[in-house]
Amino acid sequence: MPAGLDNLKHIVVLMMENRSFDHMLGGLKKDYPKINGLTGNESNPDLNGTMVPVQANAKFQGQLDHDPDHHFPGVDLQIFGGTAPGPGRVANMQGFIKSYATQGSDINASHAIMSYFAPKSLPVLTKLATEYALFNGWFSSIPGPTICNRAFAHYGTSFGNVDMNLFYIQDPILSIYERMVKAGHTAKIYYYDQQSSTMEIVNLLKNQPQIFGSYSQFVADCKGNTLPEYSFIEPCYNDHPGPGGGQILASDQHPDHNVQEGEVLIANTYNAIRTNQALWETTALLVVYDEHGGLYDHVVPPACQSDGYSASADKTGTGAPFNFDRLGIRVPAILVSPYIPRGTVVPGTEDSSGLIFEHACIPGTVTNFFLKNYDQRTVREKNSRNFLTPLTDTLRHDDDCWVFDV
Amino acid sequence: MKKKYKLVMKVPKTPKRAYNHNRFISSLIEHQIKHFSEVEKSLLKPGQKLTDISKIKTELHASKYLKKMTARLHPQGAGKTKMVAQPSNAKKAAKRKTKRKLVKRKSR
Repeated sequence: MPAGLDNLKHIVVLMMENRSFDHMLGGLKKDYPKINGLTGNESNPDLNGTMVPVQANAKFQGQLDHDPDHHFPGVDLQIFGGTAPGPGRVANMQGFIKSYATQGSDINASHAIMSYFAPKSLPVLTKLATEYALFNGWFSSIPGPTICNRAFAHYGTSFGNVDMNLFYIQDPILSIYERMVKAGHTAKIYYYDQQSSTMEIVNLLKNQPQIFGSYSQFVADCKGNTLPEYSFIEPCYNDHPGPGGGQILASDQHPDHNVQEGEVLIANTYNAIRTNQALWETTALLVVYDEHGGLYDHVVPPACQSDGYSASADKTGTGAPFNFDRLGIRVPAILVSPYIPRGTVVPGTEDSSGLIFEHACIPGTVTNFFLKNYDQRTVREKNSRNFLTPLTDTLRHDDDCWVFDV
Repeated sequence: MKKKYKLVMKVPKTPKRAYNHNRFISSLIEHQIKHFSEVEKSLLKPGQKLTDISKIKTELHASKYLKKMTARLHPQGAGKTKMVAQPSNAKKAAKRKTKRKLVKRKSR
């Protein structure tokens, strides 16, 4: 086992909201050819049939005031360009503008879905992506919205759900936090604050409040060397007043929240680990997005192993059932550790020997690392890729790792 | 003493104008509220009234309801929150306070 894994004591996952790989990091391909981003020639037809190319003109806020559709039928249109489900249809990633235009955007406004950020606009994400390990092939688990995708990060499955509805867990499959605690390990979900609270796992908040903490507790736990073995961080999901007349901004990067505030959250989370030397050398931080939020990405989501569930045609809204055998659209995913060489890129579908990751890899990797043999989970999670493979034997010198001045 | 780091990158501040707690809630927050309402239903005692979530229209409304419910389910989460922006009035008031203190000290 490489020294990076031998010394690993903590895994931290920060899950952001609703941005695709190309939208956030596609612009990096120009300077880093190994990154499977944009050449600038990618395009989608608008409702007039005009081909609209990708453009580096994404804005921090105010450009996507209609929240782009990312429910199951909308994502189906984005991936298949409007071809109805049936044998032999081919995914072509040509339905993004069509999908956004159906939401009442005028023709020009619908082109915004093809926008992406120039790397200099996102200094924190760009720095982490180029300094540590970037996954070219990390996909959301379902071609659908937030709730079912976040469920994969907590349980390794959404129990057959493809939508935003609450489901009560009656399966023997436990969340990763419950598995850890039951086995005598430590795990925590840090929601931002009480006004923002937690997303999707309200059942856990009701029944297992001891596995929750706030973001300020996460920062204190990093300082005080009391960080659990596994931590999952939730961003702030809404703008609200803070104590003493202050203002707390949403940091989830969900459109139309300001993307810069998400950069601040990522930088603060990184710093909390980075500035405690003992913690820094024993922690791996994964920054990942739950799904693409309806924003363009050029990579066709690959087929995947089913998790054993099926969603009926009336649940999917496409006229066809879904057997959880295709992944959702690609999202940014970056692994940070001082044991990762600068500029590591984990190849994805662009490489015949590339590796495919999705959110079931989160409980899959954490379970395998801390609990070893654990059977009570889906076959899909059991067979999921280990996202810790970029950790090597070599510890980078402290002077070779950045700190953010926030 | 604070440690000095060799590689330090300045992170741009989010502009204050980004803040808008009167923004209408997204479908995501709407569903988050629905999920909490389900929990609220299950906790209702005889005679207690369920919060009317149809009145929750803005992020401010949502944050108040979420705070109420989260404080009930997880009271230990009521920690200090790091401030990202101070409204101009609060800043001005803080400045006035500091000035007054300085004047007092000088007059002693």
